[in-house]
Amino acid sequence: MNPRTDVVKHYRMVPEDFVKHLFSTLVVVIVVVLLASIFFNLPEQQPLTIKGYASANPVPFEQMALRALDGTGQIANYGPPYNHGTGNVESVLQKMTGVIHPLNAETDFILKPLAMAASINPSITPNLRTFERASRAQQTRWESAYTAALTKGVYRNGVVLTAKGDYGPLPALMNETLALGKSGLMSGALIRNGSVITRFDNQNYLLFLQGAPLQDDPATQSMAGGNWGIIHPAINGYPAAWWMTIPTWIYQWGFVANSKAADALALAIGFFFWLALALTPWIPGWNRLPRYLGVHRLIWKEFYRQQNQENRTSPIGGTKSAE
Amino acid sequence: MANWTVESKRMLGQVLSADTWLPTEMPEYAQGFMYMLGSLTASSFVVLCLSGILLAMKGPASWTANEAMRFVAATHFWSVQAFFFFMMLHLWRVFFTGAWRGGRGMTWLLGAVAFLIAIPTAFTGFLINGDLYSEWNAVQAKDGLNAMGLGWVNLTNGGQMMGMHIVVLPLTLTVVIGLHITLVRMKSVVPPYPDLNSAPSEGGAES
Repeated sequence: MNPRTDVVKHYRMVPEDFVKHLFSTLVVVIVVVLLASIFFNLPEQQPLTIKGYASANPVPFEQMALRALDGTGQIANYGPPYNHGTGNVESVLQKMTGVIHPLNAETDFILKPLAMAASINPSITPNLRTFERASRAQQTRWESAYTAALTKGVYRNGVVLTAKGDYGPLPALMNETLALGKSGLMSGALIRNGSVITRFDNQNYLLFLQGAPLQDDPATQSMAGGNWGIIHPAINGYPAAWWMTIPTWIYQWGFVANSKAADALALAIGFFFWLALALTPWIPGWNRLPRYLGVHRLIWKEFYRQQNQENRTSPIGGTKSAE
Repeated sequence: MANWTVESKRMLGQVLSADTWLPTEMPEYAQGFMYMLGSLTASSFVVLCLSGILLAMKGPASWTANEAMRFVAATHFWSVQAFFFFMMLHLWRVFFTGAWRGGRGMTWLLGAVAFLIAIPTAFTGFLINGDLYSEWNAVQAKDGLNAMGLGWVNLTNGGQMMGMHIVVLPLTLTVVIGLHITLVRMKSVVPPYPDLNSAPSEGGAES
């Protein structure tokens, strides 16, 4: 039997109030949604803000800011579409995209915000100039030394203190960055657009926090990729995007999880799953499967029962034709 | 080549006919809860659009403004859950009944495309919420899109996500769902498989 024409030809048409049917389903959904909203409201988890992170984690904040400055941070060395780094380039397609959302972590995350802060706190300017006028080799020596020193940094009286060393202007600059973060003004310094006064593009705010701040946050652990990520809500007990179960499951496959191109692999495989679903009618064998699974016998149980009954009682067999 | 106007008139006459959209009878096999799942999915989409319009009128962060807006946001949240829940049940039903048979392949394909588009439609909604789930998933999922060469879709750009969520994706989804339902109405729901066990054997004896 051709899997695409394998249908019964004879059945009855029965009276139907289609408008009532549509209104009934609409009422059912409205009632369910209202009840769920009344009883469960919303899963609402406060976001991690720069101000909140800087205030609660001053030393890690400075370490993160220093990684942005010295180019070792995840975004600093990400690659397209943000910059020419190589740290997160998974595919040729990604390279072909080019740098369409240009982002230089050193200047955009640290030096420009500090320059803006310097306009209201001129004491920042000399240290900023010292850093900017130093050779790249000198900057790197300061950054390496201060990175090591910060591992034993302590927060006291509003500033991060480290053992004495040759860090150039970095301790002062990093503490000014911390002060900017704690003040809540960092968002204004990161979300800039000189051409318009609206602030719809919050890319730099999110990318500023996307490394250690979010990844080390206990509140995000249940949503991490290794823990089936997106299908988990920020607040336990609520549903999230559970319809992403198959792509999330693919992320758990060993060769995908261990690949440097995990995202590209998982999404590409996920797309093939969808393609198999979408092309079901035309895939030989697969398009016959439901007939052999037999679930249709349960769904059309009453139809088949009546058909059987009529076949038994009718001398010629068969039912009336709808055609 | 056929006359385009005549052909269009014939097609539109069928598509816009009250007989197509307001049937007064249905096949006997298309009865019961299993045949409400498509309508329940479409009804959820209607509730989604209505609650979404209320939210859009006051802007993306309006849900944090007061308890009334939180409630509207809650209805939007639960209607997307209902939408996918009923869509999944509908998908299982149409799969197990081989709903592509009898020249209904395009109906199936459009349903699958609607499912695919519904995923980013919902996701962009989560992204403009601005809560921790939104923040985390924006920075996590961006790597996947960037890897696929879709970096121009900037998940960390709230403005772009707002446009995608309230205009681009729902309009596309509405068109696809509209075409899917139009085909369902024009071709009706798939008849059952001829059940081999129920075929009359010789002499009309029990099978």
